[in-house]
Amino acid sequence: MTLVMVVDDDQDLSEMLGIVLTGAGIDVDLVSRGDEALEVFRNNPPDLVLLDVMLPGLDGVEVCKLIRAESMVPIIMLSARGDSQDVVRGLEAGADDYMVKPFKHPSELVARIRTRLRRTNTDISGLLTIGDLAIDVAAHQVLRAGKQIALTRLEFDLLVALAKEPGRVFSRDALLSEVWGYRHSTDTRLVNVHVQRLRAKIEHDAERPEIVVTVRGVGYKAGVLGRS
Amino acid sequence: MNTIFSKFRGSLALKVIVSTVVLSLAVILAAGSALNSQLTTGIKKVNLQSSIIEARSTIFNAQYRLLLAQGQRDSEVRKVVNDVIASATSLSTNENAREVVFLKSPGNSRKINYEIASNLVDPTSIPMYLSNKVRKADDISISYITIKYIGGSDVPGLAIGDKVTIPNAGQYEMYMLFSLVNQNTTLTLIQNYLLLTGLFLVILIGLITWLVVRQVVRPVRQASRIATQFTAGDFSERMNVRSEDEISTLGNAFNEMAESLEKQIARLENLSRVQQRFVSDVSHELRTPLTTLRLSSEVINSSRQEFDPIVARSAELMVAQLDRFERLLQDLLEISRFDAEVAVLDATEFDLVTLVQRCAEDLLLVAKERSTELRVYSIADSVVVQADIRRVERILRNLFSNAIDHAEEKPIAITIVAGEFDVAVGVRDFGVGLDASTLIQVFDRFWRGDPSRSRTHGGTGLGLSIALEDARLHNGELEAWGRPGKGAHFVLTLPRNSMEIINSRLIKLQPDDYHE
Repeated sequence: MTLVMVVDDDQDLSEMLGIVLTGAGIDVDLVSRGDEALEVFRNNPPDLVLLDVMLPGLDGVEVCKLIRAESMVPIIMLSARGDSQDVVRGLEAGADDYMVKPFKHPSELVARIRTRLRRTNTDISGLLTIGDLAIDVAAHQVLRAGKQIALTRLEFDLLVALAKEPGRVFSRDALLSEVWGYRHSTDTRLVNVHVQRLRAKIEHDAERPEIVVTVRGVGYKAGVLGRS
Repeated sequence: MNTIFSKFRGSLALKVIVSTVVLSLAVILAAGSALNSQLTTGIKKVNLQSSIIEARSTIFNAQYRLLLAQGQRDSEVRKVVNDVIASATSLSTNENAREVVFLKSPGNSRKINYEIASNLVDPTSIPMYLSNKVRKADDISISYITIKYIGGSDVPGLAIGDKVTIPNAGQYEMYMLFSLVNQNTTLTLIQNYLLLTGLFLVILIGLITWLVVRQVVRPVRQASRIATQFTAGDFSERMNVRSEDEISTLGNAFNEMAESLEKQIARLENLSRVQQRFVSDVSHELRTPLTTLRLSSEVINSSRQEFDPIVARSAELMVAQLDRFERLLQDLLEISRFDAEVAVLDATEFDLVTLVQRCAEDLLLVAKERSTELRVYSIADSVVVQADIRRVERILRNLFSNAIDHAEEKPIAITIVAGEFDVAVGVRDFGVGLDASTLIQVFDRFWRGDPSRSRTHGGTGLGLSIALEDARLHNGELEAWGRPGKGAHFVLTLPRNSMEIINSRLIKLQPDDYHE
């Protein structure tokens, strides 16, 4: 059974989220304070964290940083503010996705959670190479010269999406659909922030990326090391 | 010349200095010429008096000595005459050169001629009128003349003449000529000094005026500079007040005004910040309960088949109204961001044609329901712009659904035109249209075109005002045209780069298909 940890200080909303998720066959662990979240997380590691930004005790963005420091678990931020700063702050702290309250539909929430939990690229076997990196899709590992680089599942999916079609230029919309499962989203902040986080982990020089290359005005593509 | 004139008009100091100098120049000229003429007259008078006294005594003395020579020989008489001339020309009390001229009176028919003049003086120096005057007068006669020297120069002089009788030779006229060269030199010297003093005075006055004016003008200049800073929004600076005169009163009044302005503005800013903060907080606070509401309403709605029809319909209505409530909340929040001027432009590069087509496709079903369609005409296959895609999409969706609402089952034409610096999207419907009075209200908040008309999307009444704010945030413009029964035309013009400003209208607001 899948376990989702819901961190939200609004009792009623937490209860409602619990009803909706349980109805979809997902177990729920409810936490109402930011400073309690990490302890609950350690005691009973969930498959996904649903994290509100504004929390008593400890700010949601801080909680996100703490969890990300010790786990690659998918994190979805919940925010009452759709403004750039809040969302970008959350994403930069390591969140994979975000949802702005109020959600359109319970099924939207469930769909987002399922997208983040799904096993992707099960059709690909063996090794993919991008630049000087080797990607073992089945084992969910990225290796440089035999050493593993720790990526979140989302970062891994992003890298695989680019690597499996080297040379193809992906628009941000295409990546949103491929990696996040959005069909009609124009929120390119998600892509931009995660590309930056990914680059920080895999590029030799994040300022001059050679593996995930920006194609101005279009999007990104997998670069060939040395002659991008 | 023009620049000097404009500088003159533009500078108070220069104006005051120039007018002071010009006025004092006039006064000094008047005073100087009065002084000059007084001095000239005085000097001439003194000179004349001493000359008359000297001439009188010399002529009397000459007459006396000539009388003593009565009855002597010709040569003796001539000797006396020469003596007289010698003593007269050497008897000098001042350094003025003097000459003596003896002229035979007209009517003296004696053969012996004693006419003589000292030092090569030309006897014609004595004008006829003086000669006549001497003959008729009993006393000496005086005239200013020009002394001419034979083969020499002319000098100004004074001639004093009287009749003398030379023994055996009858009546003669004796003239004493005084040179006025020295007197004139003195007068010229005095004139030069006067002129020099005047010039010096004028320069001095100009300098003093400049110093005085500077004291007045400096604070005025400071005030104007600080006022300019106020206009630019900087209220930090104050005038220096050091004395207790009228200028410092101005300075104090100015500083008090600045103080009060600064306070007022700060108060207003704070008030509006509090207000906007409140609106924003309210909107955010509403979101969490709204989320719970939505989730629970959806859970209820999803099992409405199990309810009786009245409860089921109520559940449907609840879901629909929650939708509407949420849109209203979002629009209010957006408006509060514009009002607080915290709306941020998140510009990226994208293809406008693709975006327009996607928005049109998304509204395909809604258009079909209303028996209309959206036809996109683009000048190019791809028009890349640098703009906030979320906002541009919102503008387009607003314009499209607005057109669908009012299209009256006629197709809607969407045109995309791109220039070198600007792009434009025109949305033309041929439906109910707008009259002149509604045209000016169309972008007002919560304005509704026709209260009797239903709205497909249950619009919030804020859509077009947000669209206009979004366009302006891009330095673009959104304009509306309409005629009752002839449809409406909305034109969005944006700079290709949102940092620039638009400098053209690529699509005419009044559509080409319409003729008055």
